[in-house]
Amino acid sequence: MNSLNFINPFGVREEPGSVVGDFYTANFSRKARPDTIILNLGPQHPSTHGVLRVIVELDGEYVVRAEPILGYLHRMHEKMAEVKTPWQYIPNMGRVDYLHPLAWNWAYVGAAERLAGIEVPERAEYLRVISCELNRISSHLMWWGAFVMDLGGVTPILYAFEEREKINDILQIVSGSRLTMSYFRFGGVSSDIDDRFERLTREFIPYLRERLKMYKGLVTDNVILRRRLEGIGPMGLDLCQRYGATGPILRAAGLARDTRRDIPYGVYPKLDLAIPSGPSDDCFGRYLVRLGEIEASLSVVEQALDALPGGPVRIDKAPKANWKLPAGETYFAVEGARGQTCVHLVSDGGRTPYRLKLRAPGFSNLSLFAEAARGTLLADAIAILGSLDLVIPEVDR
Amino acid sequence: MTSTDSLENRFREAGALVVSRHDFRRDGLVMSAVVPPGSLTGLARGLRQDGYALLDVSVLEAIEGFLVTYHFDDFAAPGRLALRVLAGTVGPVVPSLAGIFQGAEWHERESSDFYGVAFQGNPNPVPLLLPEDFEGPPPLRKEPKALSSLSALGLFGRPQVLDPAWQDLVAPKEKGEATQG
Repeated sequence: MNSLNFINPFGVREEPGSVVGDFYTANFSRKARPDTIILNLGPQHPSTHGVLRVIVELDGEYVVRAEPILGYLHRMHEKMAEVKTPWQYIPNMGRVDYLHPLAWNWAYVGAAERLAGIEVPERAEYLRVISCELNRISSHLMWWGAFVMDLGGVTPILYAFEEREKINDILQIVSGSRLTMSYFRFGGVSSDIDDRFERLTREFIPYLRERLKMYKGLVTDNVILRRRLEGIGPMGLDLCQRYGATGPILRAAGLARDTRRDIPYGVYPKLDLAIPSGPSDDCFGRYLVRLGEIEASLSVVEQALDALPGGPVRIDKAPKANWKLPAGETYFAVEGARGQTCVHLVSDGGRTPYRLKLRAPGFSNLSLFAEAARGTLLADAIAILGSLDLVIPEVDR
Repeated sequence: MTSTDSLENRFREAGALVVSRHDFRRDGLVMSAVVPPGSLTGLARGLRQDGYALLDVSVLEAIEGFLVTYHFDDFAAPGRLALRVLAGTVGPVVPSLAGIFQGAEWHERESSDFYGVAFQGNPNPVPLLLPEDFEGPPPLRKEPKALSSLSALGLFGRPQVLDPAWQDLVAPKEKGEATQG
């Protein structure tokens, strides 16, 4: 092999041991062994979910080392928070995580409400739960379809999109949009639900329960899927702790930790919330946890609709566009589809926040990939990457 | 969750400059402490043994310098903590926690990108979110006239100031008061 020279697609002659690439390839290659191949995945690779880039060092088909390269979708949301008033910034939150925008809505609006001591009307709290949980279901469905597609099963994503469209039809009624939703406001939500919202939601719950049975027969019990996932990419509690991984990854590791129950907010304490955890910390365990969470969210939506009280959906003296945050610091966390979603908000009492830090769960979850992928087959590393449920705009912010 | 009393004792023994208890509902923290940079890694090691995880690293630029805040939470029984270190205005450097919490590596690189704070001991100190050839000052640094003092930001909950030098940073005396005294 040593006598062969390789010609890469750019026509550059590669001597063995030579480095072709950019700053990050060169930085990565410094620690490479002489007998391995360095392969660049992304940032436009289909299995990298958006624009993630991963450089891997391969010994045959085995991953010796991997390093995710971030920043291709970085938009500096934290800087925008410092130049926009709190009101102007709300639409940004729908753009941080396009699959679960309402979790970020809640994290930001909730942080501002805690800082200003604003209490939200009970009807609005229930509407927040209903919309946020429907959104979580659509996020998990999207993950499910994309994950199975990563593994080579192309059809399920078409089913997932069918259900997702139904949820979008529902959430569009109140938020006006199907993707980057901004439904929450300081002191409540932007609009009340109508009969059509309730009817479509009530129809959707039994419909999806039936479909989930089909998912199980068609995909979950499929022997090829099982072989691709069982025992692959174990992520134990120690790994989760060292990298700060939360959400389904932590729960698959056996710890039933969920912000909705452990650090309660909204009306979650009044609802019966099942928290699936385990049975295994591998890719299949994470798969089962997310499918279990879809069922748990359906139950929460059903309970919240039954218990929905009357009344206003926003407080009387809700903050206006020129509203200023009082001086102070707060740290507020909600449970997003990918884990603990936090906002660290600091105000000096001025027109715009002094500092806003967004803690994206996907950022911490992805940071453990390099360690989890070490020693696996490249194909399994792709399965591990998919099992993390990445949303790159959230990772890069 | 490790009890707040035992945590407070541990912070005091580590030479904490300020220890604060917080109203969790408003501040989202149980406790926070400003510690000298030298005792940061020792405290982090203790927190890891107690089952805490690092949530994020958040930098705050103020007149006095860069306040680097490490947020921790206990996975088993939640009780959020903040450890803070103040780095100077010129060439700010703080120790890296990446050897204890490996997830800190990315959080620190992000903070270096945005604020130009160096984390001594970070195993891979290259840009994370910004391009490697990014020119100009770190993007989240503020204009000098936009800077606030730490005391005006309400960071300290119910503070116990253990280092007299921090008294003015936490709650400065009114000007009139100082001349009378």
